[in-house]
Amino acid sequence: MAQARLARREHITGWAFIAPALILLGLFMIYPIVWSLWMSFQVGKGMNLSFGGFANIVRLTKDPVFLRALGNTFTFFIFQVPIMIVLALLFAVALNDATLKFRGFFRTAIFLPCATSLIAYSTVFKSMFAIDGVVNQTLMALHIIGGPISWLGDPFWAKVLIIMAITWRWTGYNMIFYLAALQNIDRSIYEAARIDGVPAWARFWYITIPMLKPVILFTTVISTIGTLQLFDEVANLTAGTGGPSDSTLTLSLYIYNLTFKFMPSFGYSATVSWVIVVLVGILSFLQFLVARDRKPS
Amino acid sequence: MSGLKLRNVKKSFGSVHVIKGVDLDIEDKQFVVFVGPSGCGKSTLLRMIAGLEQISSGDLFIGDKRMNDVDPAQRGIAMVFQSYALYPHMTVRENMGFALRFAGAPKEEIATRVAEAARILELGALLDRKPGQLSGGQRQRVAIGRAIVRHPDVFLFDEPLSNLDAELRVHMRIEIARLHKELNTTIIYVTHDQVEAMTLADKIVVLRDGVIEQAGSPLDLYDDPDNLFVAGFIGSPKMNLLAGTAEAGGIRLADFPEQLVPSPVAVPAGTAVTVGIRPEHFDPTGSAALETTVEIIEHLGGETYAYARGAGSSLLTLATDNNRTLKTGERYQARFNPASLLVFGQDGKRLR
Repeated sequence: MAQARLARREHITGWAFIAPALILLGLFMIYPIVWSLWMSFQVGKGMNLSFGGFANIVRLTKDPVFLRALGNTFTFFIFQVPIMIVLALLFAVALNDATLKFRGFFRTAIFLPCATSLIAYSTVFKSMFAIDGVVNQTLMALHIIGGPISWLGDPFWAKVLIIMAITWRWTGYNMIFYLAALQNIDRSIYEAARIDGVPAWARFWYITIPMLKPVILFTTVISTIGTLQLFDEVANLTAGTGGPSDSTLTLSLYIYNLTFKFMPSFGYSATVSWVIVVLVGILSFLQFLVARDRKPS
Repeated sequence: MSGLKLRNVKKSFGSVHVIKGVDLDIEDKQFVVFVGPSGCGKSTLLRMIAGLEQISSGDLFIGDKRMNDVDPAQRGIAMVFQSYALYPHMTVRENMGFALRFAGAPKEEIATRVAEAARILELGALLDRKPGQLSGGQRQRVAIGRAIVRHPDVFLFDEPLSNLDAELRVHMRIEIARLHKELNTTIIYVTHDQVEAMTLADKIVVLRDGVIEQAGSPLDLYDDPDNLFVAGFIGSPKMNLLAGTAEAGGIRLADFPEQLVPSPVAVPAGTAVTVGIRPEHFDPTGSAALETTVEIIEHLGGETYAYARGAGSSLLTLATDNNRTLKTGERYQARFNPASLLVFGQDGKRLR
């Protein structure tokens, strides 16, 4: 009896301790998520909302701007994530070599971009990639291109620029994960492979890559989520337009425009937000599926 | 022919000299054990033979070929690591066959060699498991199997049993001895455990501070150590070492000043010496005796060790010819034959 009372008091104390965190999480995280799901079934402009059932989902399929943004987002995802993951892996392996000089400097230099101010780097990128910017001038001086590239005016090159910008910013971030994982691999495994006559490329391909698989999966999922939510770079480099002519418009930027720039359409923008959620879920599931351990049959 | 020759081999890391000039001959099919306390350079020496560490100066010959600058894979060696160094994502079969894939061996030959190694090491049932699903002893056998499949001229073992528990260590020790008989190749084995060295080796190389203190057969080192270090390192329980001074009629031990012990070797009077006597050289029929009091008794069944001291002396380890009636606190006359004493000079060198 007394014990039951004690257990009850302990329960109350325990809940009291976590209550502030739970209330804050519920208020600012769970409630908005549930509310946005409810919102995604609302139609109408501004505050004039009414329940529309699946009307927003039907609208998605007929909205050329949405389809454009979806296509762009996928383009960014398909090209940028693999390029960045491979680059980060190569940098990590190179910088893990104990004989390399100035290792600390290179590690810091490659990691630094993800810690710099977004606005500052976007501004620098904009000036570097202007028609008369340093990049065009250098490429022309080296006779790689005949005339200046309109980085921000040409739909193709604008996409390339966005991909370069995100890659520059996030490669170092992913590299740190690989470096940490590499340092956990027992050195004698590589020594054993050397004595066994396993060539360097095979040590990388058959030993390093499989042993980094969990980390590669993690960074791929994280990068996928990041790219599907891509907003900052596009908003800053294209002055929020996703231009030229929507060629760099992403889902997130479209959501922002639907909510805050056009006549507010909260319900529809909530629907687009849930498209991202569903995509992240599907892609992450696929990545886990690809990376799972296959049992030899 | 796959003996090894080391000629004035040295290794330094910057200004730190780890191996300070090693000369050593290892014969074909010999089982050689490098033994010494941690930090003595035994593993470094092994890694230099393997090619994992550069040789700073001197020459290394495997067979008749100078190997200083030869790639590890081309030296005709295979190595078993203390941490096993298995590829964790590969099955036992893949672990053992991995090296052969890059040696250009056809699939059937890889399968044959892996099966042969699995038979020798009794790994047949485990071939499709991964290292994470194996016990320590099984992993060690896989590591050895990975070495065997390459048919090397020389096997290198770097403290292979250190990560195993005591019982398994004894078992694997016997396995390795059996393996040496079956494979009939040169083995170089590094350990800090002198029991492993004594039981496995054809030839023991005792190292200290990057220098060979003595090399020879286990019993040579046991019976006839060149210096105090080897005398103290080889043998379990350890040799008793007593300080003393030579006089006209023998040696006066500092701990037993009433006794003048006859010396087995001629030592000029007045010389400070250290006298060594192994526990089992205490013998009830011996002609000399030390008066002691028993403090601790260890019954091992087959032998009974007494830890005893004279008035104010340090503790002596005595084999008592399995005297099971001995009690702590009893007076005990530790008799011995003076001819079995080993005498060492001030510099630690044996006086012969």
